[in-house]
Amino acid sequence: MNNRVNPNLPKELKEFGIRDWNDCYHCGTCTAICPLTAQGLLFPRKEIRLMQMGLKDQLSTCVEPWLCYYCGECSETCPRNANPGELMMSLRRYLTSIYDWTGLSKKFYTSKVWELAFIILFAILVVLAFLFVLPPLDTTLTAEGGVKVNSFAPIAIIEYFDWAMAFIVAGLLISNILRMYYRVVWMGTSKGVGILVHLREFWQLIFNFVVQPKFSKCDDKSYWLYHWLLMSGYTIMFILIVVFLPWFQTEKIHPAWHLQRSLGYYATIGLLIGLTAAIIGRWKKQQIKFQFSHVSDWLFLIMLTLTVITGILIHIFRVNGLPLATYICYIAHMAILVPMILIEVPFSKWSHLAYRPFAVYFARLQNSAMTQTN
Amino acid sequence: MEEPRIGVYICWCGTNIAKMVDVEQVTEQVSKLPHVVVSKNYKYMCSDPGQELIACDIQEHKLNRIVVAACSPRIHELTFRRALEKAGLNAYLFEMANIREQDSWVHDNREEATRKAIELVAASISRVKYHEPLDKRSVTINPATLVIGGGVAGMSAALEVANAGREVYLVEKSDRLGGLVNHLDLTYPYLYDAGSMLETLLRRTLNHPHIKVFCDTTVEKVDGFIGNFTTTILTENQQPVTLTFGNIIVSTGLKPFDASRVGEYGYGRLPDVLTSVEFEDMLRSGQILTRSGKPPQNIAIIHCVGSRNTEFHEYCSRTCCQVALKFANQIRTLLPDSNIFDLYADMRAFGKGCEELYTETSRKNITFMMFDQQKEMPQIIRSIDPADPHMLIFFREKISGLGLEVPADLIILMVGMEAHEDVKDVAHAVGISVCGNQFFIEKHPKLDPVATTTAGVYIVGNCQGPKGIPDAISQAKAAAARVLATINQGSVFVEVTTAQVNEAICCGCQTCILVCPYSAIHFDQNKRVSVVNEVLCKGCGTCGSTCPTGAIRSKHFTDQQILSQIAGLMEMTLKIN
Repeated sequence: MNNRVNPNLPKELKEFGIRDWNDCYHCGTCTAICPLTAQGLLFPRKEIRLMQMGLKDQLSTCVEPWLCYYCGECSETCPRNANPGELMMSLRRYLTSIYDWTGLSKKFYTSKVWELAFIILFAILVVLAFLFVLPPLDTTLTAEGGVKVNSFAPIAIIEYFDWAMAFIVAGLLISNILRMYYRVVWMGTSKGVGILVHLREFWQLIFNFVVQPKFSKCDDKSYWLYHWLLMSGYTIMFILIVVFLPWFQTEKIHPAWHLQRSLGYYATIGLLIGLTAAIIGRWKKQQIKFQFSHVSDWLFLIMLTLTVITGILIHIFRVNGLPLATYICYIAHMAILVPMILIEVPFSKWSHLAYRPFAVYFARLQNSAMTQTN
Repeated sequence: MEEPRIGVYICWCGTNIAKMVDVEQVTEQVSKLPHVVVSKNYKYMCSDPGQELIACDIQEHKLNRIVVAACSPRIHELTFRRALEKAGLNAYLFEMANIREQDSWVHDNREEATRKAIELVAASISRVKYHEPLDKRSVTINPATLVIGGGVAGMSAALEVANAGREVYLVEKSDRLGGLVNHLDLTYPYLYDAGSMLETLLRRTLNHPHIKVFCDTTVEKVDGFIGNFTTTILTENQQPVTLTFGNIIVSTGLKPFDASRVGEYGYGRLPDVLTSVEFEDMLRSGQILTRSGKPPQNIAIIHCVGSRNTEFHEYCSRTCCQVALKFANQIRTLLPDSNIFDLYADMRAFGKGCEELYTETSRKNITFMMFDQQKEMPQIIRSIDPADPHMLIFFREKISGLGLEVPADLIILMVGMEAHEDVKDVAHAVGISVCGNQFFIEKHPKLDPVATTTAGVYIVGNCQGPKGIPDAISQAKAAAARVLATINQGSVFVEVTTAQVNEAICCGCQTCILVCPYSAIHFDQNKRVSVVNEVLCKGCGTCGSTCPTGAIRSKHFTDQQILSQIAGLMEMTLKIN
């Protein structure tokens, strides 16, 4: 590891949203007040120190930023107004760019032009695909009066495309998680961790992904609930689209209580509640955690909201037998959804859905390695 | 000797004494002792009613000896002596028994503490019988003042005294006035120009009709005592000049620590390792350059060089942290894109405006790092990699616990301050003492911080201990006020509990002259006996206890007084056990 002090690192991290890094004088109030710190996992003071001294290698082995859920208590109690909470948020962006081997993450976080250009590029590609590759529009209705959505967007093609996208995204994410593993567990513990420990602690990964218990330890529990509704809604929708598309995208209109529709409604409502809470929060800036919004935070919220709205419109038009409106919304839906998944999930804010539960898992591995040494 | 009529007063000191000592029992027990006419106790003896009680009893019972059992005589001996004087009794016919600091505060068994109090009071009663009335003496004051050392403290003191229309002789060892401030570029915390401030002081001092400045001059020896000092100095052109003066203000300052003593820092070996004093000179030149003539990209500041380290000086030099912050600001202004590293042991930016300076500096992108001054000092080495700046600092950063390296083209060592080599000569010349750190010792660190145990000699500025310009000047002005008060009185009372030589018994061995810490004894060549200068004598008793023939008698601490005090203690101990 490089031990050289580099005062230019904080300046480089400005683009990731770091601010006021000079103000911290290491009283440790942030670490003391944080409900999530634990023996051996003392943040945010440690990370601020490493960042102030520009110790990039040591920072990149830190798992702690992912264990912070930004309740904002540290920033509230900081006697120097150094905003430690926002610093951890910025470090999550920075770590995402460190884990990413393509270098695109850094580009997207540090340049609005790059991020917007890629989003627009993918959106155009999607629109072009619908206009030129897929079959011509058929605005007639089926015998039962349903919109012929499967002939407009044939399940086989869409499903094939969904799986391809899922594989690309998963491949990128997994390779980045391996790089995270190498840094946090391999370099961070200076020696390996046994395979049995890996298996023993594996349930942590699943449990933390599904329940997010760490988030619930923050003092304001309401955001855990909003976030969980959003997360579960998103996950259900993602599974429906990728795995169960033939069952989900039907020309037949099922009754409202049908599982296909009720799952969709649940996901939509969950997403809407979560999104509304986040958008109001970031708009009003009353909570510390919402005071400083990076471009990537807003972009993500806007794209997901547009995805949900176009999704709702598709449903309304389809149920009411309006083929042309359905198709237009379908194209718009895909033109927002595809760039969002391709850019946000592996390279930007959405990647936290993987890094956070893995961080808890890796922290457990680290911890068992430490306790073995002692 | 008249028949002693002793009044004994036991103080409760609120509950301080009464809680642990049965004052009623003490009062009753000691009332039975011979010559005790009155024995009383009261809640606060030092209060006005308490003193009134003694005065009334002196009148009513014709008392001629008083014992008060209360706190330490350090605190209230003077109070009760004055009370005696008011009632028409000589102040020295009084003795104090300390039953607070030496009894109630340090014991937790009430019965035994009470017994101890009885013993202590009995000892005092036994002693006071032999007390003799002593007369106060006064000496007239020569209105001129000698100031030794012409830095900002010395000049300020000189100006203050001279502005009151009194003569001042200002003696400076070097060839110019101004001392260490001559080297400074800007002062902390407000970054004012040191040069213009010094210029004002210099102009006023040099042009003052009442100040006579002697540069290139040292004071070898001062004779006399408060009000009547005399010395002979050699002026620049080797002319002996005899000066007489009534008070002395010592402001000899300190010098920068010799950085080459700290091996780890390579000062003297590595060309771009500078001391803070050298860096001030560089700042005054307006350009920050390495030895090779290029502006440095990486500049490191290392604090506590020679300070707060048991190997060199354990004390804090008190100005270096603020100067380092000032440097960081100045470097940031002159080289906006440079990397500035500040390695401190503890950031001690105390003082008005200084914490604010620290806060402001910390926002200027300066990398502050902490090292352990005792265990892992930074090491400076030459870098072998040509891509590097030519020096690297290795150290363990205390907050993160990591072993780190810092690249540097220029390193500034914040040297502390230490005493001049000749500090003991100055101390000896004016009859004052130095502490373990070679700073002059004040009379009382809190209650009398600019006076010394030698009457008429004051210490101001850095020679009393490291400090910044405002503190040094405050001390100078305080000492000047003391001097002017003495001059205004025209005369001062001097210590009367002095030593006395019985010329008939003195064998002329001169041992007393060797041991006297105040140079108060000289040898009369005609009579072949030692003679005590009672104005210089502080009554410490060192000569009396050393005298092989018992020729020296310390007034108020005679053998008879001390032995009867011991006897009184032992008798009571035997009686009550």
